[in-house]
Amino acid sequence: MSDALVQILEGNTFVVSDDRGDIEASLTDPTGLFSFDTRFLSRWVLTVNGQRLTALSTDDLQYFQTRFFLVPGTGTVYVDSQLSIIRQREVANGFHEELRVLNHANEPVQLAIQIEAAGDFADLFEVKDALAKKGQYSTRVADGSLVLRYQRETYTRETWISASAPAEIAEDGLSFSVSVPPHGEWSTELNVVASEGVADAEPDQPVGIRGQGQRRVRRDMARGLQKWLGRAPAVECDWEPLKLIYRRCLTDLAALRFSTLTMPGRSLPAAGLPWFMTIFGRDSIFTSLQALPFTSELAATTLMALAERQGTRIDDFRDEDPGRILHEMRYGEMAAFEERPHSPYYGNADATPLFVVLLDEYERWTGDVKLVRSLEKAARAALAWIDEYADLQGNGYVSYQRRNTETGLENQCWKDSWDSISYRNGDLPGFPRATCELQGYAYDAKMRGARLARLVWKDPAFADRLEKEAADLKRRFNRDFWVTDGEYFAVALDTDGRQVDSLTSNNGHLLWSGIVDRSKARAVARHLTGPRLFSGWGIRTLAEGEARYNPIGYHVGTVWPFDNSFIAWGLRRYGFKDEAASIVAGIMAAAEIFAGRLPEAFGGYPRSSTRYPVRYPTACSPQAWSTGAPLLLLRAGLGLEPDGEHLIVDPALPDWMGSTEILDLPGRWKRIDAFGRGRVKTDRLTGR
Amino acid sequence: MPAASSGTADPIDQFFAILAAPGRISTFEGESATVRFDAGDGSDSEHWHVRIADGEVSVSRACAPADAVVRMQRRHLEAMVTGRLNAQAAILRGLLTCEGSVAALVMFQRSLPGPPGSAGRVAPISSESVTAQHARTA
Repeated sequence: MSDALVQILEGNTFVVSDDRGDIEASLTDPTGLFSFDTRFLSRWVLTVNGQRLTALSTDDLQYFQTRFFLVPGTGTVYVDSQLSIIRQREVANGFHEELRVLNHANEPVQLAIQIEAAGDFADLFEVKDALAKKGQYSTRVADGSLVLRYQRETYTRETWISASAPAEIAEDGLSFSVSVPPHGEWSTELNVVASEGVADAEPDQPVGIRGQGQRRVRRDMARGLQKWLGRAPAVECDWEPLKLIYRRCLTDLAALRFSTLTMPGRSLPAAGLPWFMTIFGRDSIFTSLQALPFTSELAATTLMALAERQGTRIDDFRDEDPGRILHEMRYGEMAAFEERPHSPYYGNADATPLFVVLLDEYERWTGDVKLVRSLEKAARAALAWIDEYADLQGNGYVSYQRRNTETGLENQCWKDSWDSISYRNGDLPGFPRATCELQGYAYDAKMRGARLARLVWKDPAFADRLEKEAADLKRRFNRDFWVTDGEYFAVALDTDGRQVDSLTSNNGHLLWSGIVDRSKARAVARHLTGPRLFSGWGIRTLAEGEARYNPIGYHVGTVWPFDNSFIAWGLRRYGFKDEAASIVAGIMAAAEIFAGRLPEAFGGYPRSSTRYPVRYPTACSPQAWSTGAPLLLLRAGLGLEPDGEHLIVDPALPDWMGSTEILDLPGRWKRIDAFGRGRVKTDRLTGR
Repeated sequence: MPAASSGTADPIDQFFAILAAPGRISTFEGESATVRFDAGDGSDSEHWHVRIADGEVSVSRACAPADAVVRMQRRHLEAMVTGRLNAQAAILRGLLTCEGSVAALVMFQRSLPGPPGSAGRVAPISSESVTAQHARTA
């Protein structure tokens, strides 16, 4: 297969095709037209007179639109064709393709143009795990369309394919017999619609999954992107690449916007393209926090959508508890038949306290007390979850252990791979696990909850109680998690209350949460910017020297831009301005090399040895919280902090960035400009 | 068939009776919406009309207009109100259709019980067994 391309809609419909626009999927080959976590087209191959085509060029016009310039024939270097084919595709509730065939000869040509089409209706989980289907396939012709259908009991999905030009419709596709005049053109529009279908019936038109027309969606997309870019604050900087990075972030964030069925006019950040275009509690919250100074709409929608699906019952299959914030929502066949728990799945231990953190931070920036008031019940339930359901060991700490032992998640913190939490010697702790950052988030949630209780909910007694609990948690935490001989916080406590004693980037999240005693902060900051954790590009997930350290291990040595952005914020919280500027310097330099689009993670090799950041191989790009990282780093570098009705600007930027400015920052102060000049000499730490 | 008379414990009637019991529930605090459930086929179908007014719930058997009208077979409704069928899964599977406000239905599903047998607790797993398990699979 040629290089795969991806294009998408601001939703969960997307197409992955080769550079000719063709789709030739198998259960294990992830190309196709996907909508609501289902592959509606697994084959879409264009031929002219039985010949496949070759791409001369492929242009991504917008994040939802691509144009392919093609000529007949394959495998030759030398192209001298009398025909060109232009294929322009826009993704909507399926996709819309304009096909133009240009005859450059002085003679007319007779052409047999064929589009082969098939749908395997694989669930995304099946694509990932290569599982077999359980239902039946059929095809029919209805209302001039070829309809591909899949049915399993009452679950149906259909793909409707039609053309504007007269076509011969067969089970395996559409064909056109055409004559193109000399220097003339033939064209048709092809429409592919993803439909829910109806059980045991053959509807004569597509049944919209979202009940909205395709045309309206397409118009909205173009307008939506322009409006989105126009509304965002402007960034100016002596260091030119920053403007490019910022622009890339905004465009990628626009592409990652996702609307839920219950709030069609609003959007929240999905986790990543293309496989994670859905609500993730943790990812949506972190990304909303990162983007908050630039756009608060994502945060507001995230809060409302997560509150709407907040847990209310004990459900072991979904790892649901009352008050718990969801982990992941899916819409495919396996969720439908409860073969996977994502309807939604609740197995995470951080999104619930982080929900309260985001709510408070949102109010500090926007002053929108109305939303805080309307989410009072949800926030109280989230705070109650911390004490009543998350303290699995009865020791006053938040722990996690899955109750769905078949398809649930073993690790319910952001470092969710099997080996991410280990002792220095490489042994793995048992379950439940109380990882350190969860205690930080719980502390922060209580402190921020107290502020909201006093300010908005007018319940000072509740505020007093939360602050008392937070103070107690902080005192115990600084005693129980502090690794005395190493002067840092253990990554977790195990089931015996013993420290899981490896040195990790989680220490940075602890600074961000505020749970760290002042007297211990200096040592923590030294570790974060020391040679074991800091590579010159960024802070490694696990320190060099630990048994499981591997510079290209997913959570055991790679550098995560998202992680670093929150650590920079944390360093600023404790006044370590130069250290924060060094993180800004490292990640921004990496962002320049990645042309503005930071990957989910890159290798933890020392900067001095590789000179460039080594991308970690991953299927998802852009990833929402990597996209948000430069935004939060900009905030940390400029030292932006809301204080009542004002915005504090206290810059500490790398000297080589020169003057840096954000114009028209929105917030409770209406609009404000933030300016800073880079003065921190970061080269010594970053090794630039 | 219409619902069983009081005395026999029809799970659907029981569920709605408990839902509407005064002072029973804080699930819908501050919320307002109407949801009607139509169980069965065509003229035979039974109705439960749920009115939520600022968190207070009342249920009638009227076929009155509602923000969301939910249609499903009686056995599926029974499975749903007893926690044996998840509402979201039922929507995706095509076991129920919702006309009108999906938001109202999503709000309503908060009141549904979890699956029978969910304990909320599992036995701890030791470090030795986790390390050994991954040594085997690695």
